[in-house]
Amino acid sequence: MKINVFIRELLITLGILAATTGIGILFYHLKFTEANIITVYILGVLLTAIFTQSYGCSVLSSLASVLMFNFLFTEPRLTLHAYEPGYQATFAIMLLASLITGTLANENIRNAKEKEQADLLAQKEQLRANLLRAISHDLRTPLTSISGNAGNLLMDSGQLDDRTKNQMYLDIYDDSQWLVGLVENLLSVTRIEDGRLNFHMTTELVDEIVDEALNHINRRKTEHRIVTEYEDDLLFAKMDIKLIVQVIVNIVDNAIKYTPEGSVIRIHAGRQGEFVQVRISDNGNGVPDEWKEKVFDMFFTGDNKIVDSRRSMGLGLPLCKSIIDAHGGHLWIEDNVPHGAVFVFTLQAGKVKIDE
Amino acid sequence: MNKMVILVVEDDAPVRNLITTTLKTHDYKYLAAVNGESALMEASTYNPDVILLDLGLPDLDGIEVIKKIRTWSETPIIVISARSEDSDKIEALDSGADDYLTKPFSVEELLARLRVALRHSEAMKSELSANQSVFENGGLKIDYVSGCAFLNGEELHLTPMEYKLLCLLAKNIGRVLTHTYITKNVWGSSWDGDVASLRVFMATLRKKIESGPDAPKYIQTHVGVGYRMLKVEENIKEIREDF
Repeated sequence: MKINVFIRELLITLGILAATTGIGILFYHLKFTEANIITVYILGVLLTAIFTQSYGCSVLSSLASVLMFNFLFTEPRLTLHAYEPGYQATFAIMLLASLITGTLANENIRNAKEKEQADLLAQKEQLRANLLRAISHDLRTPLTSISGNAGNLLMDSGQLDDRTKNQMYLDIYDDSQWLVGLVENLLSVTRIEDGRLNFHMTTELVDEIVDEALNHINRRKTEHRIVTEYEDDLLFAKMDIKLIVQVIVNIVDNAIKYTPEGSVIRIHAGRQGEFVQVRISDNGNGVPDEWKEKVFDMFFTGDNKIVDSRRSMGLGLPLCKSIIDAHGGHLWIEDNVPHGAVFVFTLQAGKVKIDE
Repeated sequence: MNKMVILVVEDDAPVRNLITTTLKTHDYKYLAAVNGESALMEASTYNPDVILLDLGLPDLDGIEVIKKIRTWSETPIIVISARSEDSDKIEALDSGADDYLTKPFSVEELLARLRVALRHSEAMKSELSANQSVFENGGLKIDYVSGCAFLNGEELHLTPMEYKLLCLLAKNIGRVLTHTYITKNVWGSSWDGDVASLRVFMATLRKKIESGPDAPKYIQTHVGVGYRMLKVEENIKEIREDF
């Protein structure tokens, strides 16, 4: 790999040198002064510095330019001698000029690259800061309720009736369950941030993955009816199990959260050419057109305000989008008929060879 | 009062309290150990019926504890792990653990896994099942001598591979078998292609023995880990619904 880059840069350097020499020969035949030819060589060094990464190439280009100029264009021609004593000074100045040009150009490019990287880093930093802010806000609310309720129960000396206590237990349970979900999402975020390296891709049966995801859905929400349909019993897709289970959990949780009780959530999976398409549809109120793109933005929560009601953090759907993108698939929203929303995502289909 | 004794190995006091309180309220007898050394001591002294083992112990690696216990005892071991990566569950299962729980787990889940393990423990004591020539589980019957399998009295038409898989699961009833373990035992090798075809055979096998929505589930899928055959009894449906 490194050797390939080196050879490529050397070829670029030689190519530019050949081109400038060609132009020099042309100028020589057109009887232009030597100053023109020197300028062309310095331009050549400048271009070399721009198009190659290593400092060595521009130094090589500088030295070769001076030698070529000496060899081709000074009397006696086609030798490395020079009759006129002034040429020594010309060579030295030419070498110096081309070296400085090369260095400056190289530095400029490096600076531009560093700035680009710094911008990217700043962007990531910003995202992380936003994420941390949103998370600490969202951690505080359930934690307040958990520790407060537990504190009250500990201090209770018989004033609380059973119904009140029951409600407090339930609140503690619900809030801790919500924190469990948040932690799962955070773990996935860190894996995404670390890049593809942490992906563990395997070929999986889609219905097994959907079943696994449905096992993670909050069981208290049984007012919603969840139906699954598969076009094929042996539908395989390539995926990182943990992350795709997380995607399905987030989308179904989202559907449960935003549709009235008793709504039907339908999960349908089928083959579409080289892809497996999973459609998760509900018969709720649907997603307004102007929100269809925005729901995948970090921290978008419908009315776009951070409010103290729970589950305000719009982390779930953006995470789904990054996960599906990283799998080389697509995630989008369609309208259901007669009403409701359909979240559709695609994954590369997996091929399985059976050898018995 | 339940006569079964459960050994709880967990160094974190709140989690240990959670588990022991759960066991107490459900009338189980239990012993508690806070590290690997005392776990080995308790296990060898009292020979518990099931061991609940936390993998992250202060003195010994949980995997080491499993391997040591397995040198003298076949007691079902349920591993409890805080890490959600599948690799350490798989390592624990391949070292001889029977099942696993990932923190945070719900109380219902803990109880469901425990019931499976206790049933397994009981079955091992009563029949020494491994050397029997006929295997029976609910409506499923395997006659190892004639190499035939039956479902509700009717002979099943299984391919040789499906039959091999069914026998392997039956002989290890109650244990979660990892993909690697199964492919090594059925194909004699284990690479990604084997695991993929294992899924296909398992899907076709399940279709033959678990057809119909009300049919009992004999085989449980542990996504990313492996499969296990469950002992089918009247309350088996509740186990699947718990988690």
